[in-house]
Amino acid sequence: MSGKVIAKDIRNFFGPPGGQKAKQRSSQPQAGSSQRSLKNDPIEISDDEKRSAPAPNRVELRANCSPSPPKPQRAHGKSKATNARGLLKPSDRMDEDDIQLRRASGMKRPKAILSSDDDDDDEIKPPPTKKKATARAPPKPTTATSKSSDDDDIVKPPPTKKKATARAPTTSRLSDEEDEEAKPPPTKKKAAPKPRQSIAKSKDTDDYEDTPDDKLVTKKAAPLAKPSKATTKAPTQPSTKQEDADEPPKKKPNWYAMKAAKLAGPSAPGSKQVPEAASEDCLAGLCFVFTGELSSFSRDEAIEIAKRFGGRVVGQPSGKTNYIVLGDNAGPSKLAAIKKHGLKCLSEDEFLDLIATRKGPGNGKGYDEKTKKKMEKEQADIKKAAKEIEAREKEAQKSGSSSTFGSSSNAPNIENQLWTTRYAPQTLKEICGNKGQVEKLQQWLTDWFVLLKSGFKKPGKNGMNIFRAVLITGPPGIGKTTSAHLCAKLAGFTPIELNASDARSKKLVENGMNINNKSLDGYLANSVDGHSATNSAGVAITDRSCLIMDEVDGMSAGDRGGVGAMNALIKKTKIPIICIANDKGAQKLKPLQHTTFSLSFRKPDAAAVRSRILTIAYKEKMKVPANVVDQLVQGAQSDIRQVINMLSTWKRSSDTMDFDEGKSMVKMNEKYAILTPFDVTQKMLGPYLFSHTARETLGDKMELYFHDHSFTPLFIQENYLKTQPARIRSLQGPEQILKHLDLMDRAASSISDGDLVDALIHGPEQHWSLMPLHAVCSAVRPASFLYGQGAGYGGPNAMSFPQWLGQNSKQNKLNRQLTDVQVRMRLKVSGDKSEIRQSYLPALFPHIVGPLIDDGSAAVDEVIERMDEYYLSKEDWDTVVELGVDQNKDELVLKKIPAATKTAFTRKYNAAEHPIPFHKAFDLGKVPKKLAASGPAPDIEDAFDLDDEVAEASDDDKEDKSADDITKDKLVKVAKKKKSAPANGGGKGRGKKAAS
Amino acid sequence: MSLWVDQYRPRSLDDLHYHQGLSARLRSLAASGDFPHMLFYGPSGAGKKTRIACTLKELFGPGVEKIKIDQRIFLTPSKRKLEVNLVQSNFHIEITPSETGNYDRIVIQELLKEIAQTQQVDLNAKQRFKVVIINEADSLSRDAQAALRRTMEKYMSNMRIILCANSTSRLIAPIRSRCLLMRVAAPDSDAMGTVLDYVARRVGFDLPPDVAGQIVEDAAGNMRKALLVLEALKMQSPDLSGNLSIAKPDWETYCHKVADLIVQEQTPARVMEVRAKFYELLSHCIPPTVILKTVAERVVERVDEALKADIMHWAAFYEVRMRVGSKKIFHLEAWVVKVMSLYKQFFYGMDLTGFD
Repeated sequence: MSGKVIAKDIRNFFGPPGGQKAKQRSSQPQAGSSQRSLKNDPIEISDDEKRSAPAPNRVELRANCSPSPPKPQRAHGKSKATNARGLLKPSDRMDEDDIQLRRASGMKRPKAILSSDDDDDDEIKPPPTKKKATARAPPKPTTATSKSSDDDDIVKPPPTKKKATARAPTTSRLSDEEDEEAKPPPTKKKAAPKPRQSIAKSKDTDDYEDTPDDKLVTKKAAPLAKPSKATTKAPTQPSTKQEDADEPPKKKPNWYAMKAAKLAGPSAPGSKQVPEAASEDCLAGLCFVFTGELSSFSRDEAIEIAKRFGGRVVGQPSGKTNYIVLGDNAGPSKLAAIKKHGLKCLSEDEFLDLIATRKGPGNGKGYDEKTKKKMEKEQADIKKAAKEIEAREKEAQKSGSSSTFGSSSNAPNIENQLWTTRYAPQTLKEICGNKGQVEKLQQWLTDWFVLLKSGFKKPGKNGMNIFRAVLITGPPGIGKTTSAHLCAKLAGFTPIELNASDARSKKLVENGMNINNKSLDGYLANSVDGHSATNSAGVAITDRSCLIMDEVDGMSAGDRGGVGAMNALIKKTKIPIICIANDKGAQKLKPLQHTTFSLSFRKPDAAAVRSRILTIAYKEKMKVPANVVDQLVQGAQSDIRQVINMLSTWKRSSDTMDFDEGKSMVKMNEKYAILTPFDVTQKMLGPYLFSHTARETLGDKMELYFHDHSFTPLFIQENYLKTQPARIRSLQGPEQILKHLDLMDRAASSISDGDLVDALIHGPEQHWSLMPLHAVCSAVRPASFLYGQGAGYGGPNAMSFPQWLGQNSKQNKLNRQLTDVQVRMRLKVSGDKSEIRQSYLPALFPHIVGPLIDDGSAAVDEVIERMDEYYLSKEDWDTVVELGVDQNKDELVLKKIPAATKTAFTRKYNAAEHPIPFHKAFDLGKVPKKLAASGPAPDIEDAFDLDDEVAEASDDDKEDKSADDITKDKLVKVAKKKKSAPANGGGKGRGKKAAS
Repeated sequence: MSLWVDQYRPRSLDDLHYHQGLSARLRSLAASGDFPHMLFYGPSGAGKKTRIACTLKELFGPGVEKIKIDQRIFLTPSKRKLEVNLVQSNFHIEITPSETGNYDRIVIQELLKEIAQTQQVDLNAKQRFKVVIINEADSLSRDAQAALRRTMEKYMSNMRIILCANSTSRLIAPIRSRCLLMRVAAPDSDAMGTVLDYVARRVGFDLPPDVAGQIVEDAAGNMRKALLVLEALKMQSPDLSGNLSIAKPDWETYCHKVADLIVQEQTPARVMEVRAKFYELLSHCIPPTVILKTVAERVVERVDEALKADIMHWAAFYEVRMRVGSKKIFHLEAWVVKVMSLYKQFFYGMDLTGFD
């Protein structure tokens, strides 16, 4: 079987007859399923990782088998392939076998290309030659890249080559192959051979014969057919595209094939691979909107692909959008927008084709005039800015060296400074984003003396001029402190900064700032050592000082009264005060709200930061493409400081950064955010986490559970049935129903497993180390079966808060009440709680509740008598009603009892005295406060007080009355006597009424 | 006018109507002066508590029937206060430690020590020891049971323990070996018929044999239930003639409705509906095992022969899990889904056990 499949595969690989491909695609999942069903793991985490894991092999196989099909024009590719195979070590060959087996079982990995796992990369260093061969060989773009990347997983050829290829596109410096180990492994995409770079590559010291090949390739590529798909801006750059003269005919069949594949059956998720790009920036200048569900890429991945190749992705379609990539189930609003703007729609395949065929604008040649100019201008700006910085640095160096000639100690060498210091903005225009706020601040500082003179009476146009202080708030790393310092300096003030590293208690703020003007510090200091008055920061305070209180919300317990003192200071300050905080709404900042003008700084968007970062990169002679910068900025959530720090770290090891390196960098510096259980649930049960295109490892999925380990399982249990599982989308009729039930069954049993684990964790032995297992059983595994659309926010099957919590507390409450009932009845009834509930309550119901329904007020006496018989109080009566289910459900029952009857019942009950079996402890003052309040406590106490005092009378009456009934029962009499005794004693405490 | 079941409860060993051998044994034990720790076990409604009460009376005389209820407060190490209700006479004390859930060990330790360390002060008492009755012993936690072990030996001179449980399977072996096991089996139908007749005579009416038979069949060995049903029937139709239908308790009909829901439709929406009903039952203090049993029996009645064994198998499977686990509803639901899956597979005649 495996042989057949391979053969098919190969044919498919070289000649792109679509029909075959389609057939094969549809056949694979089935083969897989049959194979898989043999496995019967007790706990099977069946997310798609399992399936996808072995997948790389398939590609490898193909590569290795490539020689077999006799296709003349692929001659060079073939030779290379053989070559590559020759390089394989024996162990690799075994892998191949393994692969074949797995391949036969129909498992395939959707897109190994995109996910560049680090561990993969470490091992992967395939020979470039081979990669080239494979990559070049296919006329069909979709398969090409996959191959190269997949090879990586298995083949471990001499390391250098890959580096070479990978680096080639981005940098011209190829000579530093020796330090590869230090550099993060270049990712596959990049590795996907760039024909253009072939010459550069050939410089590499490989001992493979790739040089001639490359030449061959380039030569062949020259007469390149242009893709008709290339759109409005499709450039006509002669680049080394692999598509040969037979391109046009090839394309058509390709489309049909895609269509056939779609019609033939299930859309094969993960089946497509990102094609080898026609050029690095093939999507540059294009604006995309993704909508609906793509069949083989998750949304995130698709967006990433677009960005990788220089495209811009926006959320909503507008007139400026170039393409809509339309998947299944696109939202109606977006479809409407598409119609309105008459936008061009692409399917997923078209999108991939676009990548494969469109020439990027290259070095600005492909752009239209406007864009080109803009780009050139940008470039020039960057250069200019970099020059400025350089000039400034030189000057600083000069002045620094001259001024500190004598005392060499405190002139920090500019080379040794942190980048964040070194490239801190020196002029207002260098500040990224928040222009308006900075201008306001600047204006206010500039006007300070005027304002001071006028006594802060006129609000001015911003309403800012009546404040003596400004409160800047915003997330970290967006230049709040920098802006404050810069503005102060530019306005001619000397900034004095106090931050969280300084003690800022009330006393220190008052004395240090000399608010009360009590200190002679200035005079004495002046006379003694010739220094002027200083504050706690060690800087002279003059009327040209500006106080910057950084990290105001960090004033902690140690800074007691600090905020208050500062507020007092602000009220009469004669120097401007700028307070800086992260969280505007913090409780601590309440006092400042009325005395300061609030300036909120927002995160600058990527565009605002980009040019600054590019300038720094340029200055540091780093090659970082704009889309990588965007990615860094986005990943750091616009934290400029972090981006600069990342770059400076990176600079230590490399001068270039490509898309994937950037991605891993961002990943490493990721800020950890806690998700709410709702988000976790939505993510887990949503269609993406377990889809074939998902890249999350099992660890990542378990991590979701740990966002809130106590709630996540409950949320999953509550909502797992609300999805439309993606796994059964392709099935029809009974098969679908059965499969759905089967999945539900497995999910439910896994949740049941999870509860057992939970019992171990929270049981007496507290096996907390089982939490990962709990994560898998209670959350990951159920979700892996039933993930799909549906359980989101809103809609008929909206995600809901777990009922379990409410139901459980209700159960506890009723259980407690039932215990009370049981204890009271205990003198008469031997049954335990559950017996009371299951036998007595239904039996008592017609005696103590039924009459009220049937006979109304007339039955009240009878009911009360019966209740007294069992020592049931009115609260217990409520409990009895509350405990009913079905036709005895409390709501129904209470509805059936007329209000008049209810009041009559209550009044009559309260009017009479009733036997009580015992006093609750809290009635006797033993426990001052009951821990769990149940029922209206004051009423109970009142009732019992009354009981205590007047109980005898009614008891005696009753005794007489009931004497004939229970004459045989001596005990009752004994009990009554006993009961009356303590009551006489005036509630002396142990007023237990005994009876039998 | 108590319910008949309480009014005509036997009060001495001589009054007991069935298990005469057991009564004789208890009588001789009580007379011997060498009274052991005892473990009474048997299904509910078989007469365990009644027998214990009778035995106590035999031991101490009518004084044990003067009982009172007391409430005690215990402090856990975490300063949480636990209220425990004690039922006691001068000669014995009865506790239900499982009321306090996981803290039952503290109750056992504190209370038993306290009782055991005080001697019987009543010089006229027939026995030198007190008796501690521990109800629902089978729901004692393992810790509590372990706490009981040594106490049972150490304080033997002052105290005897009578455990009352539904089954011995959840008691640890050391406890079982320290007790004399008394199995109180459910009465057979003849015995139940006798009791019903006796009660009817005491009340003053004649019980037609066919009605008695019907009641006995419905009660399935639960004497308490039989008597309650008898009274309900008598209330319903005073002459006990005509077509009598024994009314099911509310929770039972509700369970049957759940079972019908399961058989009618097998969809996720239905599972959620069933889940809501389960929550309703659970929160209204119906024990989960009872729910599972009732629903399963009803489902089994209504499905094809071929499915019955499987359904019961899975009910047993999930009942065990329910006891081990903490969130009962998870297991109940897992069982429901399993049943639905089995049912549907049977319905379509496909077996998808290995389907993926």
